[in-house]
This record gives sequence, structure tokens and C-alpha cells, in this order.
Amino acid sequence: MSETTTTAITLSEPDDGRRHTTNLGRIVSRMRRQPGTIVAGAFILFLATVALLAPVVAPYDPTQVFLDNVLEPPSAQFLLGTDDLGRDQLSRLIYGSQIVLLVALGAVIIAAVIGVPLGLVFGFNGGWWDRIGMRFVDMAQALPGMLIGITVVAILGRNIVILMFAIGLIGASLFARMTRAVVLVERNKLYVEAAEVAGLPRRQIIFGQILPNLVGPIVTQGSVFLGSAIMIESAMSFLGIGLPSEIPTWGAMLSLALDNQAVAPHLTWPPGIAIVLTVLAFSVFGDGLNDALTGERKRLPRLGLRLAQAEEERAARAATSVSTAPGAVTGTATAVVHGDDAVLVTHDVSVALAMPDRSQTRIVKNASLTVAKGEIVGLLGESGSGKSTFARAVLGMLPPGTWLASGSIRLLGEELAHRQERELSHVRGTRMAAVFQDPMNALSPVHTVGMQLTEPLRLHKGMNRTQARTRAVELLERVGVRNALARLDDYPHQFSGGMAQRVAIAMALAADPELLIADEATSALDVTTQAQVLDLILDLRDEYGMGVLMITHSLGVVAETCDRAAVMYRGRIVEDSPVATLFSEPRHLYTRSLLDANPANAETSGRLVTIDGDLRVEIDGLIDQLDAEEDAR
Amino acid sequence: MLKLILYRLALAVPQLLLLSFLVFTLTYMVPGSPAAAILGVAANPESIARLEQQLGLDRPFFERLIEYYAGLFRGDFGTSFVSGRPVLELFAERLPATVSLIAGGLLVSIVLGLALGIIGGTKPGSFRDRASTAFSSVSMSLPEFWIGIILLLIFAVQLGVFPVVSYVPFAVDPIGWMRGLILPSIALGIGGAALIARQTRTAMAVSMSSRYVDSLTAVGVPRQRVVLRYGLKNALVPVLASTGLTISIMLGASFSVEKVFAFPGIGALMLRSVTGKDFAVVQGGVLLIAIMVILVNLILDVSYGLLNPKSRPS
Repeated sequence: MSETTTTAITLSEPDDGRRHTTNLGRIVSRMRRQPGTIVAGAFILFLATVALLAPVVAPYDPTQVFLDNVLEPPSAQFLLGTDDLGRDQLSRLIYGSQIVLLVALGAVIIAAVIGVPLGLVFGFNGGWWDRIGMRFVDMAQALPGMLIGITVVAILGRNIVILMFAIGLIGASLFARMTRAVVLVERNKLYVEAAEVAGLPRRQIIFGQILPNLVGPIVTQGSVFLGSAIMIESAMSFLGIGLPSEIPTWGAMLSLALDNQAVAPHLTWPPGIAIVLTVLAFSVFGDGLNDALTGERKRLPRLGLRLAQAEEERAARAATSVSTAPGAVTGTATAVVHGDDAVLVTHDVSVALAMPDRSQTRIVKNASLTVAKGEIVGLLGESGSGKSTFARAVLGMLPPGTWLASGSIRLLGEELAHRQERELSHVRGTRMAAVFQDPMNALSPVHTVGMQLTEPLRLHKGMNRTQARTRAVELLERVGVRNALARLDDYPHQFSGGMAQRVAIAMALAADPELLIADEATSALDVTTQAQVLDLILDLRDEYGMGVLMITHSLGVVAETCDRAAVMYRGRIVEDSPVATLFSEPRHLYTRSLLDANPANAETSGRLVTIDGDLRVEIDGLIDQLDAEEDAR
Repeated sequence: MLKLILYRLALAVPQLLLLSFLVFTLTYMVPGSPAAAILGVAANPESIARLEQQLGLDRPFFERLIEYYAGLFRGDFGTSFVSGRPVLELFAERLPATVSLIAGGLLVSIVLGLALGIIGGTKPGSFRDRASTAFSSVSMSLPEFWIGIILLLIFAVQLGVFPVVSYVPFAVDPIGWMRGLILPSIALGIGGAALIARQTRTAMAVSMSSRYVDSLTAVGVPRQRVVLRYGLKNALVPVLASTGLTISIMLGASFSVEKVFAFPGIGALMLRSVTGKDFAVVQGGVLLIAIMVILVNLILDVSYGLLNPKSRPS
């Protein structure tokens, strides 16, 4: 059933012509927004014009010999000087552009004509065709291109067609590889399957259906290879295996420059600069074309944006230094009430994010939270609520483009906000540490577990290698890794997810921090392993008495492990209460909705409640109101 | 580890067989007779026939093919039509100059490329990243022989700090050998440095945004140590994987650098043989260079296994 519908859809798509023009328009408009591409394109156009108009533009015939003016430096008569036969350099340079462009263009066409069909055949047929064919391509690509060029010229001799063929042969493997890659992607797409089901012959599928999708990549590859072809042509001409020496080429001009270097240094510069600019223009243009075709222009943060950030940070830092100055402690008076056993006290923490349009938005807003010694505090929220960003703000590890806009972060009474990275790195590990989601990536894959585990021990405890390894074994045994001594020399991929997370916990606790931040530490694990790891964290809390900030999206995790929990929504902490109260008498509408949406309840009600529609609008309204109130203040 | 090496060697065998066959048929691809090509315009039918007989070109295809392979197994890569000396001997004579040059070029490109890549990759999008990316883009468009000519012009011809003729065998004068290698290595290395810088930049950016960087930072490992010890080693895995290609590109580029600095290397030998129609040397040379490339890739594959524990057969 589904197959027939897709067939209909695919085959009744608007005619290629129309789609193509709109595509072309989009590509051109994208390229217009790339200044580099415009400059490169203009240069290519200029070069092509000069090459076409060579007889008109060039002051002399490139082969005309002025025996009275041999090896002359630039003058009014010969703008770029003359070579050892008294030939005008400027004229040879201009005529040289003809050869360069012609050979490069011919080489690209030959490379595409050889490479693209090969890639189509390998990619579409697969199996042995592909395996053996790609071995050839690999081998051709592994050999130095110049070797292939030399061999072709050695066999066939020297003329312009042979030169194009030699360079084309070097580039053919590139086109074959690229085509095959595209075909492998395309042939698994629905429209090809649909065409096969519809009974289109294979040839028609390849040429009618797949080839149009290849036009973009081929043009891009062609434009990039044009640059390489010019490089190869110049090198071959320089080596004297390109075109016969009476034909002006940039490479041969450089060869003459080398021979006459001591007497005529001026010959060195113009041909070289011409080659560099031309190659650069084609490669910049090719990259720009590629970006325009794929629509993937990597937008880098703007300079102005970063200036704004720096300014804001400076202001925030100044504000903090005032508030932390003696006598100005009043700012913390409104903080959540906490006793002397508080490990972490954050007050009004806001994190700003730089937006691509140069504005900024707050992704954490005035968040205040306290974790006491031995207490496990949950921070609950859906993804994007700002809970992980909050954790990173505490750690002083905010990602690029975000920064602490305001607020105070006190760890064991010490202000951490806006501290230098160097100072923070001493606090991390010894007073706070963190375990993150996705344990399989939490450790460097190319270093042994032992090496990474001993890092904090050697760094903070001043242990030597042997002491650190002994302690590491104890730690691993404590977190439940069996055969710990032998496993120190294993690599992370040799551990299961649960075991890797145990190692990560051991590493975090190695230098006895007072605060452990577990950022979705068990989310990626299966239920059984999750329970074991949570039990381990509970045990370790009892043993070491550290405070734990447990960031999670799971109500179950909160219910089972936490003493207290805060609920975060759209960057705000909307509720903060003991776990029992949170579940029995939720105060905020969002919390209530969240509890209703718990899939565990669906078992009794038979219906899964979700937060959307009017409910979502109502909650968002509450938050918007809060935002507006704050803005007004 | 031994298993990995043996597996790679086994893979190289069909490659070499195929390649040697292609190389063997080279002389059959020459339009007309190679003998006529060697003799050039002065050729008459008798002298062509005499030369063909002399070179063994008149014998049947299969006879020559068998003889060719028998020769290869004995280490006989043919005999130069021009000088009458074994190709392997000519090659061995010139290998030290080329290997010195490529080693020097590789050193320059690795040191410069890694430095640029780390500078850019640790802070993607920053000013220093753009500067290092721009430098690599321009470097990739610089023909290595032109860099060589400029270096030669400035430092040897105008300033006289370096000798114009560069190569001195190591055994003769180690200091002179090193001095002579500096300019050619820079000329050859800049292009490779750009390649390595691009790859390192990307790999480093990926590496530095990985979760383990967070884990290490969160236990207080200083940034510099995270970058140089952990980020770099992870970044080296993909970089090393493409070093084979870099060396192969350098081998091609070494031909023109050898010409600039008058190096008595393999490139010079090959060029002389091409222009002198010495097909035996071209044949043997292509095969020997291909063997070198395959060997280098083999060594790199094995060291890749050492660096990346996941690819090791356990």
C-alpha cells in the first residue's frame, strides 16, 4: 500500500525544469551573500576575459624575440621585463592564461567523463563490481598524481590533448569516489525504490533519476579540481614534461626564472603570483559553490556579538565584586534560607545566550538553589528547560556563546561567579565534581581508564604514579568494578555502559569533592543498571557525606533518590520543595501537569496525559507574566 | 599486532601484482615501437629492428611477461636502455636524497600543521582560527616549486645564507646535509602543513567538544593539559589516517622541489628517463615508487592501530 502511494507521489513530482530554475535561483542568491565567493568569481571572470582577448590585450606576440633587450627588468616598454630570449613577460603571462584555463578545463571534463560513469557503475551495482572497482580507485589515489602524469607523457609524448588526458586521469578517481558516494545515498532513497517498483529500466533510473542529483556535486568537484589541475599543469610545465617550450605557460616561465635567478630575479614573481591567485580563486569559488548547494554555510559568531558578550561579562563581574565586597552582603539576605551545613548556595543565577541575529536571550533566569551537606537535591525539567546549563554555570563550564549574566554561586561559602578559569580548575575535582550523561563517551577512547582515573589523584592529592594507581584500584573496587587492577590498563570501549559510568563516578570522587553534580548521569543506562548506579550514588553519599545535585528528567529518579527537588521550566525554577511535598502537594501548575503526565499514572487511568494545547499555553502564560514583571522592575 | 601486519601485507599482494602487470604493458601502450621512439628522427627500419632485438622487444608477449616476473622475484627491476645499469641500482643510489627531502618536508608539515590545527581547532570561529584557516587556504594554493624558487632567491642568491646547490650526503658531512635540507624541506612542507592543519583543526574541534573533555575538566584537569594530552591524541587518530595521502602527495611534489634545489633524487632520475625515452627506468621506477607508497601506508596502518585501541584486534 505504502509503496503505491510513494510511487504516485514521486512520479507526479513537478517537471525537472521548473524545480531546477528555482534551485538555481536559490543557489545564486546564496552565493551572492558570500563576499569571498564573489571576489573569486570576479577574478575568474577577469582571467577568462583576458585569456579570450589575449591578442588584443597583450602588447607583443608572446614568441617575438627582442635580442637587444634580453633579461631586462620591468620598464615602460616591457612592463614585466623580458626573459633570456628578450620575450615580453607580460605578453607571455597573458597568453599563458589561455593555456592554463584550456588545459585545466579539458582535464576536468576528461576526469568527469572517466570518473562519473565508473562511480555510477560501482555505486549502483555494488557487490564485486564495487569492491574490485574501488580497490583500483584506492590504488590510483594512493599513487602520487605526478607519477601518473609522468607515465602518460612518457608513453604518449607531449601535446596539449595528452596533457589534458594525463591530468584528467589523475582526477578521475576523485570523481569516481564522489559519484559512488552520492549514488550509494541516492539509491536507497524512496524515489529510486519507487522507480524500480514502477518498472523503469535500470539505465533510465541511473541517468534519468540519479544523475540529476549528481549535477551539484559534480560541478563542485569540478570547480575544486580546476584549481588542482592548474597546479599539476604548472608543475609539469615547470618540470619540462608539459607542453613544448615555445608555448608560453606559467610553469615553464618559472623554470626560466630559476635558470636566470642570479641575473633576473624579476622573472620569479609574476607567473607565481598568477598561479597562486588563480588556484586560490577556483578553490574559494568551489567551496562557496559547495556551501550554496548544500545550504550549509557555517555561520560563525559575529565579532560584534562577542564584543557585546565581553562588555556584559565585565559589567556582571564588576557588579559581583561590589556585592561581594565587605559590607555589601545585603544582596544575599534575600537568598533561600540555609544553615551552616550548606555546600552550594546559588542566588539569582542568570545565563545569557548569544543569538545569531546579535540579540541575546536568557536561558536560565534568576535561579536560586541550595544543596546541603549530605543532601541529594533533584533538578527536574524537560529537555531545553535550562537545567544542564544551570549545572554548567555552577561548574564554571558554560559552553561558548553563553555566559553568566548575573547572580551568585557560593560553594562552601566561597564565591565562584566570574572567577578565572585557572582558579576554578583548582576548585573542580577537590570541592565539586561532575558526572555526565552518555558514559560511553565520558572517557577518552584512546587513553587507558587508569590514566584518566589517576589524573585527579596526581593533580590534587600530589600522589606519584604508583600511589595513584594503588588508590585508583581501591576506588574502582569501591564503585563495584571487579578485577580492578587488571582493568586499569583497559580502554573505555572494553567497558559496558554501566561499568563506564561507575568509572566516571570513581574519577569524580577521587579527590573527595563536597558536591557531586550528576547531570543526567543515569539517563542513557537501561533500567536495571540505572537502579544499580543510583544505589551506588546513595551509598557513596552516606559514606562520604557529600551533597549531590541530581539533574534529571525522570520523576522516578527524583522519587527514589532525592531529599528535595526543584522543578525547572523555561529557564526558571518554578518550584522547590521536599520530595514528599512535591509529589503530594505540588504548588505550581507546571509541576502538577508534570505529575499528571507521568506514564506510570497512565496504567491506572488508561490514558497518557501530555502537556500541550491549552495547558501549555496556560503554563507559558504564567512564565511570560513573570518575565514581564521582571522586565518592568 | 602481528595479525594486523600480515593482513595488510596480504592485501598488498594483489595490488602489487596488478600494478606490476600494468607497468609491464607500458611499453605496449607506446604508439609505434619504443625503439623508434628512442632513436627518434634519425631512425631507419634496420636500426629500429636491431635495437628491438637488443632490448628483447621482438620476443612474444608471454615469454617476456614470464621473464619479467621471474626477474621481479630475483629483485631485477630491469636495465636502463641508456646506461645499461640495473634500475634498482640507479634507484638505490638516489633514494637517500629523496628520502631525506621527504622526511624533512614531513617534519615541517607535521610541526607546522599540528600547531596551526591546534591553534584553530581549540577555538573554532575565533580570530586566530580564521587566521590559521586563511593561512592554510593560501598555502594550499602555493606551488611548492615556486616557494622553493623564492626561498632560493632570497636566502641563497641574495642573502647568501644557504648554499645554492643543496644536497650533501649525510655520510660526507652531516652538518652540511642538514643545512642543505632546510630550504627544500620548507618548500616541500608548507603544502603538507596546510593539509595537516585542516585535518587537525576539524579533528581537534570535534575532540574538544567531546564529552570526555567535560569529564576531565570537571575534575579540575587544566585546559592546557586536556588539549595537549587528551584532545591532541584523539585528534591524531584521523590525522594519522590521512598521512599516507600526505606522503604520497609530497612524493609527487618532491619531483619539482628536487629540480629547484638540484637534488640528485628519484624525481630527477625519472624526469631524465622520461625525456630520454628510457622506458626501462620509467617502468622500474613507477613500480618501485608504488612499492614505497604501499610500504609507507602499511607502516602507517600499523601505527594507526597502535594509536587507536578500538581498531586493534584483541
